[in-house]
Amino acid sequence: MEIQVLVKPAPETEGRIAPTADGSRLDPAGIKWVLAGYDESAVEQALLLRERSPGTIVHALSWGPAPRSEEILRAGLALGCDRATWVEAPPGFEPTGIDAARALAAVLADRPAELVLLGQQSGDSEDGLQPLALAALLGRPGFGAVSRLTWDAAGRQFSFLRSLDHGAEEWTVPAPVVVGLRQADQDPRTAKLPMILKSRKMPVDRVASATVAAALDGHPGSPPLRFSLPAPRSGAKLIEYASPEEAAQKLLKRLREEAKVLP
Amino acid sequence: MPDFSLSPDLESLQDLARKFARTEMMPRAAECDRRGIFPEEIYRKAFDLGLMNLNVPAEYGGSGLGAFQQCLIVEELGYGCAGMTTSIIANCLALEPILLGGTEAQKREVLEPFCRSYHLASFGLTEPGGGSDAGSLATRARRDGEGYVLSGEKCFITNAPHASLFTVFATLDPELRHKGISAFYVPREAEGVVPGKDEEKMGHRASSTGTVRFEQVRVPAAHRLGAEGEGFPLAMRTLDMTRTPIGALATGIAQCALDHAARYSRERHSFGKPIGEHQAIQMKLAMMTSQVRAARLLTWQAATLIDAGKNATLESSVAKCFASDAAMRVSDEAIQIFGGYGYMKDYPVEKLLRDAKLTQIYEGSNEIQRIVIARELLRRYAP
Ligand SMILES: Cc1cc2nc3c(=O)[nH]c(=O)nc-3n(C[C@H](O)[C@H](O)[C@H](O)COP(=O)(O)OP(=O)(O)OC[C@H]3O[C@@H](n4cnc5c(N)ncnc54)[C@H](O)[C@@H]3O)c2cc1C
Repeated sequence: MEIQVLVKPAPETEGRIAPTADGSRLDPAGIKWVLAGYDESAVEQALLLRERSPGTIVHALSWGPAPRSEEILRAGLALGCDRATWVEAPPGFEPTGIDAARALAAVLADRPAELVLLGQQSGDSEDGLQPLALAALLGRPGFGAVSRLTWDAAGRQFSFLRSLDHGAEEWTVPAPVVVGLRQADQDPRTAKLPMILKSRKMPVDRVASATVAAALDGHPGSPPLRFSLPAPRSGAKLIEYASPEEAAQKLLKRLREEAKVLP
Repeated sequence: MPDFSLSPDLESLQDLARKFARTEMMPRAAECDRRGIFPEEIYRKAFDLGLMNLNVPAEYGGSGLGAFQQCLIVEELGYGCAGMTTSIIANCLALEPILLGGTEAQKREVLEPFCRSYHLASFGLTEPGGGSDAGSLATRARRDGEGYVLSGEKCFITNAPHASLFTVFATLDPELRHKGISAFYVPREAEGVVPGKDEEKMGHRASSTGTVRFEQVRVPAAHRLGAEGEGFPLAMRTLDMTRTPIGALATGIAQCALDHAARYSRERHSFGKPIGEHQAIQMKLAMMTSQVRAARLLTWQAATLIDAGKNATLESSVAKCFASDAAMRVSDEAIQIFGGYGYMKDYPVEKLLRDAKLTQIYEGSNEIQRIVIARELLRRYAP
């Protein structure tokens, strides 16, 4: 059985985040890219499925510019993915939106994976579009907001839960299927040092951008008009204190005299 | 020309240690310091991630890292909590004599179990009667049939209260001074091994330090490392390997102090502006930045020489000495920048000063390092 797990580099939020000089997009300079959020969960769940069905191959796939895609794939290898493929993005394409789905579908169409697994939305752009767009382009069933994903021993069908605001749906679906994961069965693991060392020497296969160019032909991407940072928070006041009693006194004084919410 | 930037391979190791330091160590550091807790669950996690037996080659199940890689990791861990780091890297120190002086059979016997599951080892050189003068040990080894009998006491031994194995340096003949010293490894369960209590310390309070007494402990000849009388050079070669990471640990403390101070300088106001806009504070921050960077580059240089198989006696002593002094200066200034708050235990910087102090003392005090530096220097100016 084979799982294609899709991973996307997202900016580390503790690092420096700034728009480009012309304000059109996020400036990639100096950003540290990490495997974040739901994608981390997708890798975790893929590895758990493999543990339950030995012999399964977990293949990490990423579309985007080098070197950030390569680094994110190595992070996947360090976590335990068996193989990695980097799909090179033609210049000017950001690895996001419908273009990403077109490029990834072009590569996945030839791959006989029972399961295409990805985060229900990416750690940065939060489109939530990939699982269903990919499913549509591949002509396979697709689901988002999935948790408790299991498969039968032969990998012929998948069962899972879709937890929604108003309740939860239980599903059983025949393979192949595209799944956007909300939650893995356990917290994503941390890569261990020996695996990190090993991952640095493992091959990352490359699919040249020419291979996906046809799928992107005539779709110039749809960049946003402007990118700006969230407005800085204001209004927070720090109370300085030397003891809890002093802190409480000062807080009470402010609540009474400044905020006037206490008599 | 070296450009002093890290390759993605090295960054991936640094990232692992940084994440571990920030998510596992730092949240517990203040509490462990305050209450003198030895957080074994954190050490177990460090073991699970491969952060513990860094210097043991992969063929025995260790992480098999070179000196430079070790330094990157130890700096990050040191940033998180110096005391925890001392306990995490104590295995590297205790197992190094086996790596350097052990036979293949000894290495397999000792190292493999250590890398298979979580165990702590202790390095037993220092004695109540003296640490710097390691040539005049009082712990005795007497030949007895096929093996030896050890008697004596070691003190200030990191992890001794928790260790399952001790590497021990003892003399067959005190008259011979350093030529009489041999090295052994002794499992804790051997009869007559009596670890003492956990000492109350000024800093590194998440680490555990104690005495261990050897009361007529029988040690088979197969547990001797190297030939009789080769113990002293083995101890010195061990410290040659572990000194540079202590420089990295001190750099981590200094970087942490600088980060706290710089952040505080932008938040705290006096005379109508952030204190970071007063030139006196800026001068301090500039000095601290220079110290941290110089400390890091000196450890990197010594580590690079070690990895290249070159002699690094001078460079590793310079690195350890400079970085530990830098950690003291920088954490001292960080307290000054925090003012009264810096002196309070509710704030993180006074711990850094207490932790920094040890790095000037252990693994060869800075006075001893300076003796080594001067000796190496003067050797090069022989008339
Ligand atoms: C928390 C902690 C953990 C430790 N962990 C270990 C461990 O795991 N294993 C281990 O074996 N040891 C360990 N040590 C011991 C440490 O390495 C020694 O304390 C250190 O080597 C100094 O020895 P000493 O304390 O006996 O001081 P002394 O040797 O008595 O020195 C006292 C002072 O005199 C100075 N001095 C000594 N000789 C000279 C000289 N020739 N010229 C100028 N100045 C000199 C020293 O620098 C020092 O300032 C640890 C110590 C501490 C505090």
